[in-house]
Amino acid sequence: MSLVHARPLQIGESEPRADAPAKAAGRERYAIDFYEEGMLWAGVKRADIPHAVFDGIDVEAALKVPGVVDILTAKDITGSNRQGVARRDQPVLVDDRIRHRGDGVGLVIAENREALRTAVQRITVKATPLPGVFDFETALREDAPRIHEDHPDGNILLKGHLETGDGTAAFKACAHVVEAIFELPYQEHAYLETEAGWAVTREDGTVEITASTQTPFRDRAEIAEALGIEEERIRVIAPFCGGAFGGKDGITVQSLLALAALKYPGRPVKMWWEREESFVASAKRHRARCHYRLGAGADGRFHALAAELFYDTGPYDHLGGAVMALGLEHTGGPYRIPNTCLKAWAIYTNNPVGGAFRAFGIAQATAAMEQMVDMLAEKAGYSPLEIRRINAVNQGDKTPLGVTLQTSTGIVQCLEILQEHRMWRDRAVWKNEAGPFKKRGVGLAAVMHGMGYGPVIPDVANARIELTHDGRFQVACGVVDMGQGNASTFLQIAGDILSQDRKHLTLVLPDTARTLPSGSASASRTTYTYGNALIKATFLLRERVLKRCADLMMVSDLGELALIPGAVCHVTTEREFALGEIARVMDGNERVAVAHFRAPQSCELPDIDPNLRLHGIPHVVFSYGAHLAGVEVDLLTGDIAVKQYLAVSDCGRILNPQLFEQQVQGGIAQGLGYALMEEIPVEKGEMKTLNFSTYLLPTALDIPDMTVITAGGHEATGPYGLKGVGEMPTSGPLPAVANAVADACGIRLRHFPMTPERVLAALKKERP
Amino acid sequence: MKISFALNGRPVTRDLPPDRRVVDALREDLGLPGTKEACGTGECGACTILVDGVPRLSCLMLAAQLEGRKITTIEGIGKAEKPHPVQEAFVEAGAVQCGFCTPGMVLTAVHFLEENPGPTREEIREALSGNICRCTGYQKIVDAVELASKRLSKKGTTE
Amino acid sequence: MKVFLPGTLEDLWERWEKIPNARIYAGGTDFMVKLREGAIQAPALICLERIPALTKIREEENTLFIGAGVSHAGILTHPLVQTWCPVLVEALRVLGSPLIRNMGTLGGNIATASPAGDSLPALYVLDAEVVLADARKTRVLPISDFILSPGKTSLKEREIIRGVRIPRPMPYTMSRYEKVGKRKAMAVAVASLAACLRFDTNGVVKIARLAWGSVGPTIVTASRVEKALVGFPLSRKHLEEIAPMVEEAVSPIDDIRASAVYRKKIAINLLCRLAGDSNFNGRFTP
Repeated sequence: MSLVHARPLQIGESEPRADAPAKAAGRERYAIDFYEEGMLWAGVKRADIPHAVFDGIDVEAALKVPGVVDILTAKDITGSNRQGVARRDQPVLVDDRIRHRGDGVGLVIAENREALRTAVQRITVKATPLPGVFDFETALREDAPRIHEDHPDGNILLKGHLETGDGTAAFKACAHVVEAIFELPYQEHAYLETEAGWAVTREDGTVEITASTQTPFRDRAEIAEALGIEEERIRVIAPFCGGAFGGKDGITVQSLLALAALKYPGRPVKMWWEREESFVASAKRHRARCHYRLGAGADGRFHALAAELFYDTGPYDHLGGAVMALGLEHTGGPYRIPNTCLKAWAIYTNNPVGGAFRAFGIAQATAAMEQMVDMLAEKAGYSPLEIRRINAVNQGDKTPLGVTLQTSTGIVQCLEILQEHRMWRDRAVWKNEAGPFKKRGVGLAAVMHGMGYGPVIPDVANARIELTHDGRFQVACGVVDMGQGNASTFLQIAGDILSQDRKHLTLVLPDTARTLPSGSASASRTTYTYGNALIKATFLLRERVLKRCADLMMVSDLGELALIPGAVCHVTTEREFALGEIARVMDGNERVAVAHFRAPQSCELPDIDPNLRLHGIPHVVFSYGAHLAGVEVDLLTGDIAVKQYLAVSDCGRILNPQLFEQQVQGGIAQGLGYALMEEIPVEKGEMKTLNFSTYLLPTALDIPDMTVITAGGHEATGPYGLKGVGEMPTSGPLPAVANAVADACGIRLRHFPMTPERVLAALKKERP
Repeated sequence: MKISFALNGRPVTRDLPPDRRVVDALREDLGLPGTKEACGTGECGACTILVDGVPRLSCLMLAAQLEGRKITTIEGIGKAEKPHPVQEAFVEAGAVQCGFCTPGMVLTAVHFLEENPGPTREEIREALSGNICRCTGYQKIVDAVELASKRLSKKGTTE
Repeated sequence: MKVFLPGTLEDLWERWEKIPNARIYAGGTDFMVKLREGAIQAPALICLERIPALTKIREEENTLFIGAGVSHAGILTHPLVQTWCPVLVEALRVLGSPLIRNMGTLGGNIATASPAGDSLPALYVLDAEVVLADARKTRVLPISDFILSPGKTSLKEREIIRGVRIPRPMPYTMSRYEKVGKRKAMAVAVASLAACLRFDTNGVVKIARLAWGSVGPTIVTASRVEKALVGFPLSRKHLEEIAPMVEEAVSPIDDIRASAVYRKKIAINLLCRLAGDSNFNGRFTP
């Protein structure tokens, strides 16, 4: 294809993605795409009761369905039957208590999908209902029903309370104070590929699981513990995901598939959740309540911030503690605020599970904080841009948590670039061009996002690169590509260092048997962490190859040699040795280079609650962004049309502008969905939107063309100066649009998303 | 039930349950997993195929309806060594991220450009509005269709 | 389950005679969703897509006949429909998505009888008649008599919708379909308004036909409102005066998509939009 150039891949260039041709041709095989001979189908019976003592299931009718092979329950599990990332509190199949409607109570194995569906419907659940916990107030009451009786803090999974300076006492010295409460909705990841995979127990007793997952290595450990088998017996293979966004950061189908495959050795078992089941059983962006009070001096400088963040984590930790902690860390945004009192809770309820979702707790905090900033600007008589510029942090400043920013900090540059952009400069003219019954407004948001696992959990990647006998370099990538294109970037890194074109680079996707542990595809860390490891490994291998070639050519100075696509060449004589020839004189170990990288960790806040540190507070490296939304509000219907959007990002150096734009544009689109239409109403633990007819995702007509600019920073610790970009853009759109709506019509909503109905109601209130 | 139709240019006759959804028949019985399924209710476009050249949702069709039709799936668009201009444009313009919506998007775009050479960006957005993408924010997909449109019209005038 | 694809109406009647409980479907955009939910149990299915008699659009004396089996896309792009009833074209342009419009049929949209069906308000203002047929006879009903309540129609056993007949419309100067959804494509109408109006050269309304979708159990028409518009220019002031009449005419419900209160409010506001867009000779003042 015309895209295969004999030109070496280069860092900084918009190289088309390596995975794109196969995906565009429909040839890429995702976890759903395997259909093996003699394959069994497995599926889960869900409790559909929010809270109850579990008394078992009645399977008699289900077992009579022709084609049903078996129905497994918790009794078939010999291990701990508990999984989870931080706190292992979620059963593979319920054994004692039903804690939300999506809990699995039985695993049906059938010869085909039709039998599976019928059998699942015919199982009846026996349970003694318990009073449910569906809201924060009930959950926090002394006499509230306890969702986990063994948890020492009752229904509080994790809480954090951090203070700096004079805390709330500092409000007395503020000339201007604003206060508000914001309610943020659940958001469904809605990856197009629902949870899926297949597993088989091989003759040697190894159970091999191919799953749509962000975390193959962590999955292996969790499956082993939950099912009570040795980790060495489990192999997890992670193809490209059909989207994940945090929703596959944690076990979905893996343990269930392993359980079925272990019971029926030699028979492949497939599981593929339907969209409705995905809604019911998957984790979501936490519903949250954010209560903020922000105060500033007469000079517009922020002086005090008090905030309380409540995250509804549902009945299981999933990653809810970490989500809450990251939100807490980012409560005050990228500003200098000397006096703060910041509190956050992750609260157990019998609602849907809250878990990891791109922007991980920060989306909620930013939604609130950035609206507070505009409210304060208005009160204090500053422009929204001016007040941000006055208060934005620089490298060396302290965050609202009191942590000194030691790495690149580009929020000021982002705001300056935004200020010079015509979208900002020409805003008055643009706003005046609204049609009849329409009003236009523009809104800003400043965002920041910490990268990696925080100060305690080692944030590590192990890269492996090999020169194969066919004369190509093979990168074994242990961290998942869920669609962001990091795998492609890894080839670009190797290609740049080794002067190779795409043809001479191959990739091994994450596989616990073929790649090295490199952590999760999460926390905006993949390219940063694995990229750093890969650079080291690639330079090691490069030197070995050159040395070997120098021996073959009888040259002593490596400087006379150059790698070119497919070969090493002697620069003055133009003699060449093909890479394959060089590979053949190297032994197996020599052809493989491995390197390890551990991301820097903060040593600040040593005295805070160790559990908060364990959950990630504080971070060292942050990405920043300044967003500008231009909206048009329909005064007759309340409909918001986002007409223009600008995002200026400090993500350090950009390795591939096209991939950078993909991440920013995609993050904004998800953020706009969160701002405008995505929500899951839940009543007594029951979701009211279980499909794409009622849970609305933005279409091509809902998202405008976006202008995406880099602030051109350089992060000294990053690969070539890069910082993570995956999550940061997602936090901006909600507050930017909300601020734009306020600019247009003078209204501010408390409940999100900003549906036409909520907007119209607010407009009516504003002008009766 | 014996069902005969043309699949990606080749005649096929298969014994299929008449009430099997076309998406299942393609993926499981005919070995063409390039057609994806993401919602099962016609709300996402991932299962788009061309039926007599027109994009339709294979999750909302039954196998019996294949009889006598010309069916094109993503596997029938372009070849590995010579992709369709729309596929090339998707790759070059960065329209592919997770890639799960891509087969449906490509098929929709191929048909749209056949019917509407030289569309505006707004027309492209309208044409793609039944195909949900959760990764890209659509902009690069619109770029890709625009790029393919330019290339196709150039081809039309030079050839 | 067996699936049949009769090639003629005669084949259809014969098949149906043999399997009286067979269910029929056309585009499948609603039917297949219900089938997947398990909401449809039948010994066999009969698909209408192969019957040429159902896919014709033609002018008959003073009416336009649109076959029930014509897809929305097929109607939209048909020159006769474009000149004859632009309001229907406007409505179908925002029905579902391009993919749904390639599959879904006019007959299906009518038979589903959802108050949110996008073709329906247009068909009401056009005074469309539904042509029904069974093995023996054909009968014709005004659309407003055909649709009884959400999901309920006057279709009898083993009867199908053959098509709709649209009388030659008045020479309207404005034909609009205003739809409010929760996103800009693939949206179910939260409320909609089909409006056909004729103004004189001074911008005074001479004829007005209005029909609202999603604000009652069926499509809502209000002759009082229509009459009240006649004789005045479309001004915001006048519309505000007649707003209570609209409020009285509609009877929306709360559902997952919107509240009744909101629907009521926009049923009125959509009229204001017409005023904003009419803007006759600069006479209009919002």
